[in-house]
Parts: sequence; C-alpha cells; structure tokens
Amino acid sequence: MPVEQAESGAPAEEGHLFAGYETDPAFYDEMFDADGAPRAHCRALLESLGETPHAEIAIMQERAERSFLHEGITFSVYGEEGALERIIPIDIIPRIIAAEEWDFLERGLRQRLEALNLFLADIYGPGRVIADGVIPADMVRGCPQFRIAMRGVEVAHSTYVSVCGTDLVRTHDGFLVLEDNLRVPSGVSYMLANRAAVKTSLRNVFRRHKVRGIEDYGRLLRRTLAELSPRGDRDPTIVLLTPGVYNSAFYEHMFLAREMGIELVQGSDLVARNGFVYMRTTGGLRRVDVIYRRIDDDFLDPLAFRPDSVLGTPGLFNAYRLGNVAIANAPGTGVADDKSVYAYVPEITRYFLNEEPLLANVETHLCRNPEGLEYTLDNLDKLVVKEVGGSGGHGMLVGPHATREERETFAEAIRSDPANYISQPTLDLSCAPCLAEGGAAPRHVDLRPFILRGQETRLVPGAFCRVALTPGSLVVNSSQGGGGKDLWVLSG
Amino acid sequence: MLSRSAQGLYWIGRYLERAQHGCRLIADQFETMKDRPVDEIDKNWRRLYQGLGRVPLGGELRSNLDDEQFMLVDAYTLADDLTFEPANPDSIRNCLANARENARQVRNVVDEDLWSCLNLAFLDLRDIEIPDIWKDRPNEFYRRTEDAVRTFFGIAESNMYRDNGWQFLQLGRFVERAQLLAALIDAQLTVYPVGGPQADPDWLSLLRICAARDSYGRLHSMQFDPAAVVDFLVADPLVSRSVRYAVARICEALDAASAGRPLAFEAGRRAGRLAALIDYDWPNRDPADDEAIRATLRAIGDDCRRLHDDIDSAYFSYGIEEGADA
Repeated sequence: MPVEQAESGAPAEEGHLFAGYETDPAFYDEMFDADGAPRAHCRALLESLGETPHAEIAIMQERAERSFLHEGITFSVYGEEGALERIIPIDIIPRIIAAEEWDFLERGLRQRLEALNLFLADIYGPGRVIADGVIPADMVRGCPQFRIAMRGVEVAHSTYVSVCGTDLVRTHDGFLVLEDNLRVPSGVSYMLANRAAVKTSLRNVFRRHKVRGIEDYGRLLRRTLAELSPRGDRDPTIVLLTPGVYNSAFYEHMFLAREMGIELVQGSDLVARNGFVYMRTTGGLRRVDVIYRRIDDDFLDPLAFRPDSVLGTPGLFNAYRLGNVAIANAPGTGVADDKSVYAYVPEITRYFLNEEPLLANVETHLCRNPEGLEYTLDNLDKLVVKEVGGSGGHGMLVGPHATREERETFAEAIRSDPANYISQPTLDLSCAPCLAEGGAAPRHVDLRPFILRGQETRLVPGAFCRVALTPGSLVVNSSQGGGGKDLWVLSG
Repeated sequence: MLSRSAQGLYWIGRYLERAQHGCRLIADQFETMKDRPVDEIDKNWRRLYQGLGRVPLGGELRSNLDDEQFMLVDAYTLADDLTFEPANPDSIRNCLANARENARQVRNVVDEDLWSCLNLAFLDLRDIEIPDIWKDRPNEFYRRTEDAVRTFFGIAESNMYRDNGWQFLQLGRFVERAQLLAALIDAQLTVYPVGGPQADPDWLSLLRICAARDSYGRLHSMQFDPAAVVDFLVADPLVSRSVRYAVARICEALDAASAGRPLAFEAGRRAGRLAALIDYDWPNRDPADDEAIRATLRAIGDDCRRLHDDIDSAYFSYGIEEGADA
C-alpha cells in the first residue's frame, strides 16, 4: 500500500524517503493511521524528511554511527575472543510521541512506580499485602530476588526503587507495560546519545519541532540520589558503583558518573570500616554517603549476599543497615519485577492506591497455576514463554518462531518447574519507519522511559526507543540485533 | 581524587611517553638510514634496543655489515617489532592501546577532547600493519603518531583542571621520561664509549631524539663533544627532554599531590634526592673513562623504579589503616 500525501492525494514522488513505505494493518503504525495518512503530530517531520534526498539521510546515519564509535559510545559483547566493543546502531528517523500521549504515559508511570515502592516497603515491612491475600506469600518470599536481609531495614523516604526503566509497547489496544526494570535498568545513556546525534544530523528538522528537552537527566538523577543521603542537608558524597570496564553497560556508568560529577568506583575502591563506607582517594579514605550501584544485589557484599563474589565490598550491607550509607536501588527490589509478580501489579496498584491502574499489563498466564500451565502447554505455538527471573531476551521461547523441537524441549522445562515460567500472547508491537535499503520501511519498536524517585518522583520527557532492525523481528534487545531511535516528545 | 582514577591517569602518562619515545627513536633511525654507513646503522639499532631493555623478537640482533640490502630488510623487521608486534608489550601500538584502555576505564575524569584524541589515535593504528606504512613513507606514520601524543598533552595542558588528575598524568609522563632517557644515554655510552672513535653524527642523532639539537648547537657552537652532550641531556634543567627537567616536573607534581601526607613523604624525599644527585653529585667529565657517569645513570634508573613503587604505595594501594590516618 503506497502511502499517499494526505492533502494532495498525489502519489509520492520517486526517491522520496517514504515512497515505498507500506504499513501492515496488523500492527499499529507510529507515523501513519489506518488509512495510510500521516498522523497529525508526524506531518511536519514527514514533510521535512521528504525534502531531504534518501542518500543524504543514509549518509547522516552513517556519520552518526561513526561518531558513536569515535566517542566510544559502545557496549561490550562477549565472544570467544573476549569482549568486543560494539555500538548500538541508530536509526536516524525519530519516533514522535504527541503531547497528550506523553501526559497519559507520565501519569501512568508515576502511579505505577508509587505502587511498586509501596509494595516493596510493605513486603519488607508489615506484609499486609500478603496477609490480606492480594498476592500469594510463597510467590513473594520464595522469589530468588527476595532478600530476607532487607526485612525491617529503614529505607530513606521508603524509596526502594530510585531508578526505574519501564518497558512499554504499543498495540492497536494502546500502550502496555511489558516489564518493570527495578534492579539496575540501563539504556538511558543511549537515549541521550541518540538525541545528541539526531540534533546534530537533523538540526534543521529538529528546530522546526517543539521537542521537549531531556538533557537534564543527569542533574535530576543527582538530585534524586542526594535526597537519599543519610547526612541530611550536607552536600553528600555520591558514587556510582560499577562492576568495571568489562560490563556491557560500562559506557553508561562512565557517562552518568560524568553527567553527575561524581566518582565512578568499583567494589575494590570502597572500604567498609566501623559501620561506615569509604572510598580510597589519593588523599586517604573518604566517607561515602550514597551509592548508586549498577551491580546486582549478589555482588554488593560477600558477607550479606553471595560469599564467592569478588566484586563486592565486605561490610557494605552492614553500613547500609546501620543507616550510614544509602544504596540505590535498594537491595531486594528484583522481587517486584519478577515476571509472576508482574501479573499482580494491577491488583497491587488498586490495593495500595485505591485507584485503577492507568497503564495496562500484557495478559499473563502463570504456569504455577494449573489452568495457566495447561493453557500455556496447549498454546505453545502462539505464546511467548518467559522465565520469571529472566531478562535481556534470554531464557524465553517465542512460540510462533520456534521449531517444533525447540517447543518440545521448552515444554519439558516448563513441566519440570512450572512456577519458573509465565506465558503471554505474542504481542503486535507497533511499527515505526526506519531507514532501510531503498527507503523507509516499518520496523517494530518499544520504548523505555526512566522514572526517578528520591523524596519526590521525576522523569524527563523521553525514552530509550528500541528498534528490531531485522525486518519482521519482534526482538529489540541490543544484544540480539536491536538498535535505537531518538524519541521526541512534543510540547503541547 | 579516587586512587584508581589517579592511577589510570598515571599510566596514561607513562604509556604515551613510551609511545612517543618509540616514535622518536624509529624516526631518528630512518634519518640514519638515509646516508650513514652500515656499521653506524647497526650500532644505532643496538643502542635503541639496549636503551629499551629489549631483545628483538627471535633473538639477538643479526648483522651482516657487508650487505646493505640485508640491513634495509632488517630495518623492516625491527621496526615491525617495535611498532606492531603483539608480543612486545612496549610496542607503539600496545602502548597506545594500553593508554587508551586506561583512559576508557577512568573516562569520567578524562576530558572529552582528550578522550577522542586518544581514541582516534588508537583507532587509526589498530588495523594497520608494517606493510601498510612501509609502502608509503614510513616516517610520516611515526610523525603522525607522535603528533597524536603531542596533541593529547597539548589538550591536557590547555583544558585540565590542575587537581591531582593533572599531577598524576604529569608524574607518569615524567617518571617514564627520566627512566627512558637514563637508559638511552647509558646505551649510547655502551655503543659509543667515550675513549673510542667518535663521529659527530653519532651524537647528533642522540640530540635529535631528545629534540635538543638546535639548543645544544647554539650553546656549544656546534661542537659535538660527547661529554658535553651527555651533560646537556642529563643535567640541564632547561632541556625539556633531559633527565633533570623530568625530575623537576616529578618534584613539582609530588609536591602538589601530597598535601603534606606522611605516607607521601618517601616518594617526595626520593625525588628530591634524585634532583640533588644530578645538581651536586653528577660526576666530572673524564675524557678517558665514562664508568662513573654510567654508574650514576644506572642509579638514576633504579631510583626511578623505586619512585614508582613509592608512588604506588603512597597513593594507590595503601593499607586501610594507613589511609584512615590521613
């Protein structure tokens, strides 16, 4: 279905970026409506890009990617020859979110994070949500991410999750939450890098739009973290704790430390002594007040969590429990982004806030329940099955794309440990135009906004928009051929 | 500043100085190869390798002084060994790769312009090999690489906040320089002993490596007296590639970084003694015997190595109790 100019009705010209663009009615298209006419908030972009020859846009994209390499905006992929530095490919055509769409998303995201924080404060505290039968006790306490050591620990402002990265998808039914990333969500540096690249490449197009700024993210994060400091008004010493240069998100750790003007530390740079945490500086040990950690709970402190870890700082958790240092996100938040707990978030929201959840969940079948297990096994060819604790697109089966053999192997795994799996329908992820050979073509996209919470909740109007660059693919993960896009939130 | 960040900057300084030194040595070797006799080319290779404390890959330097063609082919192998050889930890490419890797790890304290300068320099030579530079004009490659290092330090000079980050970058650079120069001059005296036959170009070459030919020439009426050249390159505090100049920068950087910490005392004392050794105990010229000079050069080298250890234990890997006393 060739797209026609809505006003003139004339066929698109040869060489026009969108001349050969065909939407698929099965999927919501971010730029064109069901009749193939551009959506109102996308018209200006379409006109501007239409004036630019296709080849020129291709060159801009190539330049943007080369600048990523030169600036070292890379992530690591582990292979036989050790870690390789790769860039996350950028698609230069921005995705636009209209002002009212964003307002709705923002309200929904604030509400959801508030509910999740109340949930965490409750399960590590009085446990009403369990006593009242809203969620099964064993699902919470039996979750591998549940940290018994967190029971009764005082957490500043009851903020367990200070940085949340929520994965959202859009279907014909509207926006859905695919998952909440509440442990160490990453990708915000790519959000900012993609914006910087697009601002450079498409500066004239960018200027014509009223795009809301996101550049404040680093300062907002710093303010958020400062609010968690145990030392009140005093300008706190904040550090970012990274597993090190071999971590795939190391670039982001470095980038954020710089944006916030704080030290980037590894476990070996920290020393816990007499219930306080210090870092090793050239001037001796210096007390640390807030740790923005980008390592998993397991590697924080071998005394409290995994004893075989060499990454952590012995005694760190004790200092935390004594209230002498803040850790963000708090240990044990992973229980709330477990994929079976996810199914209960709407109920959790109603329970704690007495409000209807604004953002909908994806329909989820829990294999721990007999009817969920039966439904899942009967419909394996239509469903996506995920491990409850999995992430990054690993440990999952995409039924429609799997071979018969793969499905049978997976069915075995599900039967032997049903509680470890959930299933969801294959989602009709929306499509956005991406630069392909010969012009723009639709590719599936999602978005990950980042929500911050210290004493109050903050978010920048933007998101890391992920793209499945392979035609037809629904997998947007960077480790599996995904790319990124700049996402523009327009001001009203 | 975080100890590990300071350590990263210190190593960036060391590796880049080493890379630059390598470029200068090889570039000078090309000068020699233009018109000097074969045995002099051979001697200069020996000086170069001894000065770096290295044995060429595959064993001793092989020389066939009757065969000019052999010497030229050999240059190709040796330049490859010093520039690209993966097994040579001090090859120019490895030095740049290590400097860049250190910068990557502490990038949040490295100025953006500095990082891209270093990253681009590394990406430029990551995928090339000796045939790529040989088929064109190899000197240009070494000049370009050295230019990248100079640009790096130029940006550092103009952009960096003069906190401990700057001081440790300086420390790494000048500890490396002092050590490399002491070893190079010692090697020069091995290959061209003071009592032996002398030719101006042998000493001109050494001055060229240290970028000191013109200043020496002006001061000494273009008389290339071996003992005077050695004095100049060791003890003249105004020659930027002299041992004394490097030691002065080390003293300054340590002074600024220590802020009176007792732990840092040892490193400062050692650097001060090194300066005093050159100022007051540098042996008098003896036209017949250079043993005293050479012994002093070796002592300077040893002191630089100990200084490195002092810096490490005072600033980077001190014990918890010691750190708490600060």
